[in-house]
Amino acid sequence: MALKRLKGAALAALSVAVLASGSVQGWAAGTLRVGMTAADIPLTTGQTDQGGEGMRFMGYTVYDSLIEWDLTSADKASVLIPGLATEWSVDPDDQTKWTLKIREGVTFHDGSPFTAQDAVWNFEKLLNPDSEQYDPRQSAQGKSRIPAVASYKALDDYTLEITTTTPDATLPYQLAWILMSSKANWEAKGKNWEEVAKDPSGTGPWKLTGFVPRERAELVPNTAYWDETRIPKLDKMILMPLPEPNARTAALLSGQVDWIEAPAPDTIPALTGNGFEVVSNAYPHNWTWHLSRLDDSPWNDIRVRKAANLAIDREGLKQLLGGLAVPAKGFLPPSSQWFGNPTFDVKYDPEAAKALLAEAGYGPDKPLKVKALISPSGSGQMLPLPMNEYVQQSLAEVGIEVEFMVVEWNQMINLWRAGAADPSVDGSQSINFTYFIQDPFTGLIRHLSCDLIAPNGTNWGHYCDEEMQDLFNQIKTTFDPEAQDAVLRKTHEKFVNEALFLMVTHDVAPRAMSPKVDGFVQAQNWYQNFSGITIEE
Amino acid sequence: MFTYLVRRLIYVLPVAVGVSIICFLLVHIAPGDPLTAIMPVDATAEEQAAMRSAYGLDKPLPVQYAIWIGKAAMGDLGKSIATGRPVADEVFTAVRNSLLLAFSASVIAFPIGLFLGFLAGYFRDTIFDRLVTAIAITGVSVPNYWLGIVLVIIFSVQLGWLPSMGAGPGGSGEWTWDYAHVRHLILPAVTLAVVPIGIVARTVRALVGDIFSMDFVQALYAKGLRHGDVLRHVVRNAAPTALSVMGLQLGYLLGGSILIETVFNWPGSGFLLSNAIFQRDLPLLQGTILILSLFFVGMNLIVDVAQAAIDPRIKRS
Amino acid sequence: MSAATDTIAPDVPVTAAAGYWTGVLKRFSRDPVAITCALIVLLLILSAIFAPYLGLDDPYKSSMIKRLKPIGYPGFPLGTDEQGRDMLSRLIYGGRLTLFVGLVPVVLAFFIGSAFGLVAGYAGGRINALIMRTVDVFFAFPSVLLAIAISSALGAGIVNSLVSLTIVFIPPIARVAESATASVRALDYIDAARASGGGALTIIRVHIIGNVLGPIFVYATSLTSVCMILAAGLSFLGIGVRPPEPEWGLMLNTLRTAIYVNPWVAALPGLMIFITSLCLNLLSDGLRSAMNVKD
Repeated sequence: MALKRLKGAALAALSVAVLASGSVQGWAAGTLRVGMTAADIPLTTGQTDQGGEGMRFMGYTVYDSLIEWDLTSADKASVLIPGLATEWSVDPDDQTKWTLKIREGVTFHDGSPFTAQDAVWNFEKLLNPDSEQYDPRQSAQGKSRIPAVASYKALDDYTLEITTTTPDATLPYQLAWILMSSKANWEAKGKNWEEVAKDPSGTGPWKLTGFVPRERAELVPNTAYWDETRIPKLDKMILMPLPEPNARTAALLSGQVDWIEAPAPDTIPALTGNGFEVVSNAYPHNWTWHLSRLDDSPWNDIRVRKAANLAIDREGLKQLLGGLAVPAKGFLPPSSQWFGNPTFDVKYDPEAAKALLAEAGYGPDKPLKVKALISPSGSGQMLPLPMNEYVQQSLAEVGIEVEFMVVEWNQMINLWRAGAADPSVDGSQSINFTYFIQDPFTGLIRHLSCDLIAPNGTNWGHYCDEEMQDLFNQIKTTFDPEAQDAVLRKTHEKFVNEALFLMVTHDVAPRAMSPKVDGFVQAQNWYQNFSGITIEE
Repeated sequence: MFTYLVRRLIYVLPVAVGVSIICFLLVHIAPGDPLTAIMPVDATAEEQAAMRSAYGLDKPLPVQYAIWIGKAAMGDLGKSIATGRPVADEVFTAVRNSLLLAFSASVIAFPIGLFLGFLAGYFRDTIFDRLVTAIAITGVSVPNYWLGIVLVIIFSVQLGWLPSMGAGPGGSGEWTWDYAHVRHLILPAVTLAVVPIGIVARTVRALVGDIFSMDFVQALYAKGLRHGDVLRHVVRNAAPTALSVMGLQLGYLLGGSILIETVFNWPGSGFLLSNAIFQRDLPLLQGTILILSLFFVGMNLIVDVAQAAIDPRIKRS
Repeated sequence: MSAATDTIAPDVPVTAAAGYWTGVLKRFSRDPVAITCALIVLLLILSAIFAPYLGLDDPYKSSMIKRLKPIGYPGFPLGTDEQGRDMLSRLIYGGRLTLFVGLVPVVLAFFIGSAFGLVAGYAGGRINALIMRTVDVFFAFPSVLLAIAISSALGAGIVNSLVSLTIVFIPPIARVAESATASVRALDYIDAARASGGGALTIIRVHIIGNVLGPIFVYATSLTSVCMILAAGLSFLGIGVRPPEPEWGLMLNTLRTAIYVNPWVAALPGLMIFITSLCLNLLSDGLRSAMNVKD
């Protein structure tokens, strides 16, 4: 009943909204208004904050990186493509030396040309605290993304040389993080990043024309963009931070925005029932329990790890999420180019789980007790509480008793950085954390590498395995992309076969939009291309 | 009167200092690292340390307080950790938006509250009095954040009459008094007005009722004053207290609108505050709390002085 | 919701007189509204206390297939929440925490605030100045703002909510207690008691407490509804009671997105807060008039 009423109401809302604003302000034809989940407009000066959403809306819109992600296909996993660099190669004799050809004829929004010197200037902005343009805010966002970069120099206007500390074939993936801002604009703004923030200049397909902090940012097309296929068709795109899921839904239903990121699963029937479209696609995100591998952890027994993985009915969980999830078959999503052919089938088989637990010495009279860190909220965590309770219930059914330690998201980040051995985690043997797993480093290496054991790195569980380390080294030293992909597949197979995580689910980045919005292709990526979108008036 | 004013002003100073110390302490004893919200999750320890010293968070607390309060006295509240923008600018914009909302709510609430309260007090113990009392008590009992959600469902989503969030089609940066903007104000202002309607109506009803039952009113009638003149006396007697209650309510509306602003995504001080809380943005948090509480201290002062001015009977120590 | 913290000191009735309480009881029993409210509040408190013995479903037991069922669904008289948990059970268990977090701070603040107020009002002079100026500093914050600031500083959790709300309500109670004490102390018979050599403690106990506790108590009861709404508001903001505990404010928060699926179920926790706070207010009003305390 409510739904039917809603439908009529939404139409009325739209007409009212059109009438009201038409008489006063009047939208330009083809304006897309987006409700983001961030609480604020992401940093506008170049290297964005606000995580993946910041890069999506303020990074790859206003800026470009040397190497970019292909965002044109919804069907296959996205791969690296040339950006501001047209080609890149490593010196066969010295595998720490990379040469990149810079694209000619690219200009910033302020009209100044983009050259290899500008790329160097941008690296300095992030990495050299003594440089005049060093910006601690951008550095905080970008520095940790390019750990391999040791030095850089412009050989000429269109040739850039980058030297890495050790041979590292993942450099192209690292460079895809780094966004290039305009030196000329920074100089014109009195060499003051705060002034730049109000009127930034990049080379990207969109230009920022104005923003009210915490409320909105307006982007218009850069008609001189170097890639003609990516010149936006819209007249304008307006970004609004709407962190509260209900506020986003209400804003969409009442016609105040045309597009919202991450509608709450429960609102989706109401949205689709009113003619709004919900689009989603697999993308490199996972929702797991990272397991402690300290000496006293029960997770050291592979039978226990497998049992836990077999205990979870992921289809049931998908239902809880309104169908908006990809049940995990491994650490990477099944559609990933690096998924491979693992032999351990991650599925729901409670009997097999009980058998494995019995084999490991646990049973009804000797239940396995584990403690898990969870947070009631957090960026990208989906619906952490109901999901964790679901996992807890599933594990209980096969005989694993889970005790939760619930902490605030910010504290959770600290506990995640501190690692499983830190007293602050209070003996927890698992942590529920969602991961951005888009490239070899963020996807695989950083979680299990011996040299990244927390607190010095992001290997929370203190896992260290010679064979795995060897695979990681191979990833870094295999410079042929296809051969590298093969190593990556092999690495992922090991992740799955040894059940190194409690693999639960992958998010599908749902977004809801008005039926007026046309031409959006949701890539299997954290970032998206907004250039092909049109909007009917 | 003048000495009263001076004494009241002198008394405000230590309170303001105390308020600033509490603001500072509350913000700094909180667990959680203010930098986690702005650094990428896998930032190294050195990167965090560099950022910490850039914001002066590595200094001892008393030193941090001294630096903060010294600058605050000059109007510089530091820079937001999350946005890098000056806190004073952020708070100023937000407080302006909150004031807009608070004043609008007052404009709705005070006349209605006064009217209902006066009638109820005048017709005491009649059915009308009971009705007003019921309305007033409903007003103070309803959790207004819930009411806000219900109103959004009815008027934004079901009926589509009014927008559900925000401060106008172009954001608060370009507020103007036209319908396109005012329609954004209606739901939050009405929601916020419900509690003060109840409070003002209750207070005025009690005041007016009491005054009518006092001897001097009978005396006035006995002296042969007309009904209208008696009423004027009653109003004059009730005015100081009623005014002070309304003044304080305005302060509460400003400091207490955080829940409503969250529900309606209204870009005011409460919304700013809840963002600052969840991002652990210390400079922004302490700046916002300080300004809001100082505003409230100021409101109290104005109310007291105004009350003393219109009601010479008040002789406070 | 921030109303009660600015109430002016009540006039002090002479409560020590014999027969006063029988009068109060008589007046109260003639007030049908207050009686009804007292019964409802009593019922809520009893059901909260005896929740485990009412044969209710486990309020924590979730079910993915029974999510967001409407009111009247077989087996779930009030439907289910966003995790398929029984709403009836969660509302009753929720009353436990909500009333606990809503009432306990007022009780604590009543004792602590009265103690401060009594000492300050009786001692006068420097002690009065010290206590009351400190109180003034806390009183300078709007109550909602102070509660939120303290709660966000301490972090979410039941105990932290209790602490922050208690701190919020001490200053207004201390103020009322101080002014009531000061006015009683100025009465002749206290002077007489002192002249006859009574110690301060004895005088406070025998002559003052009996005369000031009534108005402070009535004032404190008027704070209970404010406190409960505020406590639920903290949970609603995410800085009060932590999930998955059933608590009305938190339930209101987590059910917000369900409002498009099942608005009636989503409205229930808010309705419970509303009804309870309405009853608490009416009850307080009833007590006030029965005890002859003026606003």
